[in-house]
Amino acid sequence: MAVIRGRVKKSGGEIFTASMADIVFLLIVFFVLTYNTEVDRTQVDLPETWVRKNIPKKAAVISISSPDTGEIVRVSTGEEMSLPVSTNEEVITFASTVVAQDPTKEFIIKADEDVHYEKVDAVLDALKQSKVKTIYLLSDQRTVDG
Amino acid sequence: MGVFKNSKREIESEIFTGSMADISFLLIIYFMVTSVFSATRGLDFALPEDNTETPEIKQEDSIDVFVQPGGDLQLDGNPMAKEQIADKLLPYIAETLRENPKKPVILRTDPEATYGNMIYVFDILRTPVEDGGIKIETISIPTQREISNIWTMLGVAQ
Repeated sequence: MAVIRGRVKKSGGEIFTASMADIVFLLIVFFVLTYNTEVDRTQVDLPETWVRKNIPKKAAVISISSPDTGEIVRVSTGEEMSLPVSTNEEVITFASTVVAQDPTKEFIIKADEDVHYEKVDAVLDALKQSKVKTIYLLSDQRTVDG
Repeated sequence: MGVFKNSKREIESEIFTGSMADISFLLIIYFMVTSVFSATRGLDFALPEDNTETPEIKQEDSIDVFVQPGGDLQLDGNPMAKEQIADKLLPYIAETLRENPKKPVILRTDPEATYGNMIYVFDILRTPVEDGGIKIETISIPTQREISNIWTMLGVAQ
Protein backbone atom coordinates (compact mmCIF):
# COMPACT_ATOMS: atom_id res chain seq x y z
CA MET A 1 0.00 0.00 0.00
CA ALA A 2 1.33 3.37 -0.86
CA VAL A 3 1.95 5.65 2.09
CA ILE A 4 1.19 9.27 1.54
CA ARG A 5 3.70 11.44 3.24
CA GLY A 6 2.22 14.02 5.53
CA ARG A 7 2.50 17.40 3.92
CA VAL A 8 0.96 19.33 6.77
CA LYS A 9 2.93 22.54 7.16
CA LYS A 10 4.16 23.11 10.68
CA SER A 11 3.07 26.48 12.04
CA GLY A 12 6.02 28.20 13.75
CA GLY A 13 5.17 29.31 17.31
CA GLU A 14 7.16 32.46 17.99
CA ILE A 15 7.17 35.10 20.65
CA PHE A 16 7.36 38.57 19.22
CA THR A 17 10.64 39.95 20.50
CA ALA A 18 11.18 43.00 18.32
CA SER A 19 10.20 45.40 21.11
CA MET A 20 12.39 43.67 23.69
CA ALA A 21 15.41 45.71 22.66
CA ASP A 22 13.45 48.94 23.16
CA ILE A 23 12.32 47.90 26.64
CA VAL A 24 15.76 46.71 27.63
CA PHE A 25 17.44 49.92 26.50
CA LEU A 26 14.79 51.99 28.22
CA LEU A 27 15.58 50.16 31.46
CA ILE A 28 19.32 50.63 30.96
CA VAL A 29 18.88 54.37 30.36
CA PHE A 30 16.71 54.61 33.49
CA PHE A 31 19.29 52.88 35.65
CA VAL A 32 22.15 54.91 34.19
CA LEU A 33 20.33 58.16 34.99
CA THR A 34 19.27 57.15 38.49
CA TYR A 35 22.50 55.35 39.30
CA ASN A 36 23.63 56.12 42.79
CA THR A 37 26.27 54.09 44.52
CA GLU A 38 25.96 53.50 48.21
CA VAL A 39 29.05 54.58 50.11
CA ASP A 40 27.74 53.27 53.41
CA ARG A 41 25.79 50.05 53.68
CA THR A 42 25.11 50.21 57.42
CA GLN A 43 21.58 48.94 58.04
CA VAL A 44 19.79 51.40 60.30
CA ASP A 45 16.22 52.20 61.32
CA LEU A 46 16.16 55.91 60.64
CA PRO A 47 14.07 58.18 62.84
CA GLU A 48 10.98 59.64 61.17
CA THR A 49 10.42 63.37 60.77
CA TRP A 50 7.88 65.70 59.19
CA VAL A 51 10.49 68.24 58.16
CA ARG A 52 12.86 66.84 55.55
CA LYS A 53 15.22 68.73 53.29
CA ASN A 54 17.17 67.53 50.30
CA ILE A 55 20.67 66.43 51.15
CA PRO A 56 23.37 67.34 48.65
CA LYS A 57 25.03 64.49 46.83
CA LYS A 58 28.63 63.70 47.73
CA ALA A 59 28.21 64.92 51.31
CA ALA A 60 30.44 63.16 53.81
CA VAL A 61 28.68 60.46 55.80
CA ILE A 62 29.05 59.41 59.42
CA SER A 63 26.92 56.40 60.31
CA ILE A 64 26.18 54.88 63.70
CA SER A 65 24.80 51.35 63.70
CA SER A 66 22.07 50.11 66.05
CA PRO A 67 22.83 49.10 69.67
CA ASP A 68 22.28 45.46 68.62
CA THR A 69 25.33 45.70 66.38
CA GLY A 70 27.48 47.61 68.85
CA GLU A 71 26.83 51.23 67.80
CA ILE A 72 29.76 51.11 65.40
CA VAL A 73 30.74 54.48 63.90
CA ARG A 74 31.75 54.50 60.24
CA VAL A 75 32.97 57.45 58.18
CA SER A 76 33.01 58.17 54.46
CA THR A 77 34.01 61.20 52.42
CA GLY A 78 30.96 60.58 50.24
CA GLU A 79 33.07 59.25 47.40
CA GLU A 80 34.65 56.17 48.93
CA MET A 81 33.25 53.27 50.89
CA SER A 82 32.86 53.93 54.60
CA LEU A 83 35.42 52.72 57.12
CA PRO A 84 34.90 51.99 60.82
CA VAL A 85 36.49 54.26 63.42
CA SER A 86 36.89 53.42 67.08
CA THR A 87 37.63 56.69 68.83
CA ASN A 88 36.27 60.21 68.83
CA GLU A 89 39.72 61.51 67.92
CA GLU A 90 39.59 59.53 64.69
CA VAL A 91 36.28 61.22 63.80
CA ILE A 92 37.85 64.63 64.50
CA THR A 93 40.87 63.76 62.35
CA PHE A 94 38.63 62.55 59.53
CA ALA A 95 36.32 65.57 59.66
CA SER A 96 39.20 68.04 59.94
CA THR A 97 40.88 66.52 56.89
CA VAL A 98 37.67 66.70 54.86
CA VAL A 99 36.99 70.30 55.94
CA ALA A 100 40.58 71.29 55.15
CA GLN A 101 40.07 70.08 51.58
CA ASP A 102 36.62 71.62 51.22
CA PRO A 103 35.52 74.09 53.93
CA THR A 104 31.91 74.06 52.68
CA LYS A 105 31.57 70.26 52.76
CA GLU A 106 28.28 69.10 54.27
CA PHE A 107 28.13 66.16 56.64
CA ILE A 108 25.34 63.62 57.04
CA ILE A 109 24.72 61.80 60.30
CA LYS A 110 23.02 58.50 59.54
CA ALA A 111 22.18 56.97 62.90
CA ASP A 112 19.78 54.30 64.11
CA GLU A 113 16.89 55.76 66.11
CA ASP A 114 17.70 53.50 69.08
CA VAL A 115 21.30 54.67 69.38
CA HIS A 116 22.14 56.25 72.76
CA TYR A 117 22.32 60.01 72.33
CA GLU A 118 25.74 59.94 74.02
CA LYS A 119 27.17 58.42 70.85
CA VAL A 120 25.53 61.02 68.58
CA ASP A 121 26.64 63.77 70.95
CA ALA A 122 30.26 62.65 70.62
CA VAL A 123 30.01 62.74 66.80
CA LEU A 124 28.32 66.17 66.87
CA ASP A 125 31.05 67.45 69.16
CA ALA A 126 33.74 66.11 66.85
CA LEU A 127 32.11 67.86 63.87
CA LYS A 128 31.81 71.12 65.80
CA GLN A 129 35.47 70.94 66.77
CA SER A 130 36.37 70.31 63.14
CA LYS A 131 34.54 73.54 62.10
CA VAL A 132 31.94 71.76 59.98
CA LYS A 133 29.36 74.28 58.77
CA THR A 134 26.28 72.23 57.90
CA ILE A 135 25.07 68.91 59.26
CA TYR A 136 22.14 66.87 58.00
CA LEU A 137 20.40 64.32 60.18
CA LEU A 138 19.17 61.62 57.83
CA SER A 139 15.54 60.67 58.40
CA ASP A 140 12.57 58.88 56.91
CA GLN A 141 9.26 60.56 56.19
CA ARG A 142 6.87 60.57 59.13
CA THR A 143 3.35 59.66 58.17
CA VAL A 144 0.04 60.42 59.87
CA ASP A 145 -0.39 56.84 61.06
CA GLY A 146 3.30 56.47 61.86
CA MET B 1 23.64 35.77 -29.87
CA GLY B 2 22.62 34.46 -26.56
CA VAL B 3 22.41 36.94 -23.65
CA PHE B 4 23.74 35.77 -20.36
CA LYS B 5 21.78 36.90 -17.38
CA ASN B 6 23.82 38.48 -14.62
CA SER B 7 23.72 35.73 -12.08
CA LYS B 8 26.03 37.40 -9.50
CA ARG B 9 24.70 36.55 -6.04
CA GLU B 10 24.25 39.45 -3.65
CA ILE B 11 26.03 38.97 -0.34
CA GLU B 12 23.79 39.83 2.56
CA SER B 13 25.56 42.02 5.12
CA GLU B 14 24.17 41.84 8.63
CA ILE B 15 25.38 42.79 12.03
CA PHE B 16 25.08 39.86 14.35
CA THR B 17 22.74 40.92 17.11
CA GLY B 18 22.21 37.58 18.76
CA SER B 19 24.31 38.46 21.81
CA MET B 20 22.79 41.93 22.25
CA ALA B 21 20.08 40.62 24.54
CA ASP B 22 22.68 38.92 26.75
CA ILE B 23 24.76 42.08 27.06
CA SER B 24 21.71 44.23 27.71
CA PHE B 25 20.37 41.99 30.45
CA LEU B 26 23.82 41.78 32.00
CA LEU B 27 23.92 45.59 32.17
CA ILE B 28 20.43 45.75 33.65
CA ILE B 29 21.30 43.23 36.34
CA TYR B 30 24.52 45.12 37.14
CA PHE B 31 22.70 48.45 37.57
CA MET B 32 19.90 46.86 39.56
CA VAL B 33 22.30 45.23 42.00
CA THR B 34 24.67 48.17 42.51
CA SER B 35 22.17 51.02 42.35
CA VAL B 36 20.35 52.22 45.43
CA PHE B 37 17.40 54.48 45.95
CA SER B 38 18.96 55.93 49.03
CA ALA B 39 17.20 58.11 51.55
CA THR B 40 18.51 61.54 50.68
CA ARG B 41 16.44 63.79 52.88
CA GLY B 42 16.69 64.81 56.46
CA LEU B 43 16.78 67.55 59.05
CA ASP B 44 19.48 70.13 58.50
CA PHE B 45 21.13 72.47 60.88
CA ALA B 46 23.87 74.99 60.39
CA LEU B 47 26.54 75.37 63.00
CA PRO B 48 27.53 78.89 64.08
CA GLU B 49 30.42 80.52 62.31
CA ASP B 50 33.54 81.37 64.27
CA ASN B 51 32.67 84.69 65.80
CA THR B 52 34.33 86.10 68.85
CA GLU B 53 31.51 88.58 69.31
CA THR B 54 28.89 85.90 69.93
CA PRO B 55 26.78 87.19 72.78
CA GLU B 56 26.58 85.00 75.83
CA ILE B 57 23.10 83.60 76.35
CA LYS B 58 21.88 83.37 79.90
CA GLN B 59 19.65 80.48 80.81
CA GLU B 60 16.78 82.79 81.76
CA ASP B 61 17.03 84.46 78.32
CA SER B 62 16.35 81.20 76.53
CA ILE B 63 13.82 78.41 76.36
CA ASP B 64 15.38 75.29 77.84
CA VAL B 65 14.15 72.02 76.34
CA PHE B 66 15.72 68.99 78.02
CA VAL B 67 14.97 65.55 76.55
CA GLN B 68 15.06 62.81 79.17
CA PRO B 69 15.50 59.06 78.85
CA GLY B 70 12.20 57.61 77.67
CA GLY B 71 11.32 60.73 75.70
CA ASP B 72 9.74 62.92 78.38
CA LEU B 73 10.73 66.58 78.56
CA GLN B 74 11.79 69.13 81.10
CA LEU B 75 10.56 72.37 79.56
CA ASP B 76 12.08 75.32 81.42
CA GLY B 77 12.29 73.00 84.39
CA ASN B 78 8.67 71.83 84.17
CA PRO B 79 7.97 68.20 83.33
CA MET B 80 6.08 67.33 80.15
CA ALA B 81 5.12 63.75 79.26
CA LYS B 82 6.09 62.40 75.85
CA GLU B 83 2.41 62.08 74.84
CA GLN B 84 1.86 65.80 75.47
CA ILE B 85 4.83 67.06 73.46
CA ALA B 86 3.08 67.15 70.07
CA ASP B 87 0.20 69.24 71.44
CA LYS B 88 1.79 71.39 74.11
CA LEU B 89 5.42 72.12 73.16
CA LEU B 90 4.87 74.52 70.26
CA PRO B 91 2.02 76.49 71.92
CA TYR B 92 4.24 77.03 74.99
CA ILE B 93 7.12 78.22 72.81
CA ALA B 94 4.82 80.46 70.74
CA GLU B 95 3.53 82.04 73.96
CA THR B 96 7.08 82.67 75.19
CA LEU B 97 8.28 84.02 71.86
CA ARG B 98 5.35 86.46 71.73
CA GLU B 99 6.98 88.28 74.65
CA ASN B 100 10.49 88.05 73.17
CA PRO B 101 10.72 86.81 69.56
CA LYS B 102 14.52 86.68 69.70
CA LYS B 103 14.62 84.08 72.48
CA PRO B 104 16.67 81.07 71.40
CA VAL B 105 15.62 77.52 72.14
CA ILE B 106 18.30 75.36 73.72
CA LEU B 107 17.76 71.67 73.01
CA ARG B 108 19.63 69.48 75.47
CA THR B 109 19.42 65.69 75.55
CA ASP B 110 20.31 63.28 78.32
CA PRO B 111 23.13 60.96 77.18
CA GLU B 112 20.97 57.96 78.15
CA ALA B 113 18.05 59.08 75.94
CA THR B 114 17.90 57.72 72.43
CA TYR B 115 18.66 59.58 69.21
CA GLY B 116 15.03 58.95 68.20
CA ASN B 117 13.80 60.81 71.32
CA MET B 118 15.94 63.83 70.42
CA ILE B 119 14.97 63.83 66.74
CA TYR B 120 11.27 63.66 67.67
CA VAL B 121 11.55 66.90 69.65
CA PHE B 122 13.89 68.59 67.16
CA ASP B 123 11.43 67.81 64.35
CA ILE B 124 8.60 69.45 66.29
CA LEU B 125 10.76 72.50 67.00
CA ARG B 126 11.57 72.77 63.29
CA THR B 127 7.90 72.61 62.32
CA PRO B 128 6.69 76.14 61.55
CA VAL B 129 4.64 77.55 64.40
CA GLU B 130 1.22 78.27 62.90
CA ASP B 131 0.00 80.24 65.88
CA GLY B 132 0.37 83.88 64.84
CA GLY B 133 3.18 83.18 62.38
CA ILE B 134 5.80 83.11 65.14
CA LYS B 135 9.03 81.49 64.10
CA ILE B 136 11.82 80.09 66.25
CA GLU B 137 14.88 82.01 65.08
CA THR B 138 17.57 79.99 66.81
CA ILE B 139 17.68 76.40 67.98
CA SER B 140 20.92 75.58 69.72
CA ILE B 141 22.05 71.99 70.32
CA PRO B 142 24.95 72.15 72.78
CA THR B 143 27.09 69.06 73.23
CA GLN B 144 27.93 67.56 76.63
CA ARG B 145 31.44 69.01 76.42
CA GLU B 146 30.08 72.51 75.78
CA ILE B 147 27.60 72.18 78.66
CA SER B 148 30.39 70.94 80.97
CA ASN B 149 32.57 73.89 79.93
CA ILE B 150 29.79 76.33 80.81
CA TRP B 151 29.24 74.70 84.20
CA THR B 152 32.98 74.77 84.85
CA MET B 153 33.16 78.45 83.90
CA LEU B 154 30.32 79.16 86.30
CA GLY B 155 32.06 77.14 88.98
CA VAL B 156 29.15 74.77 89.37
CA ALA B 157 29.96 71.16 90.28
CA GLN B 158 27.83 68.64 88.36
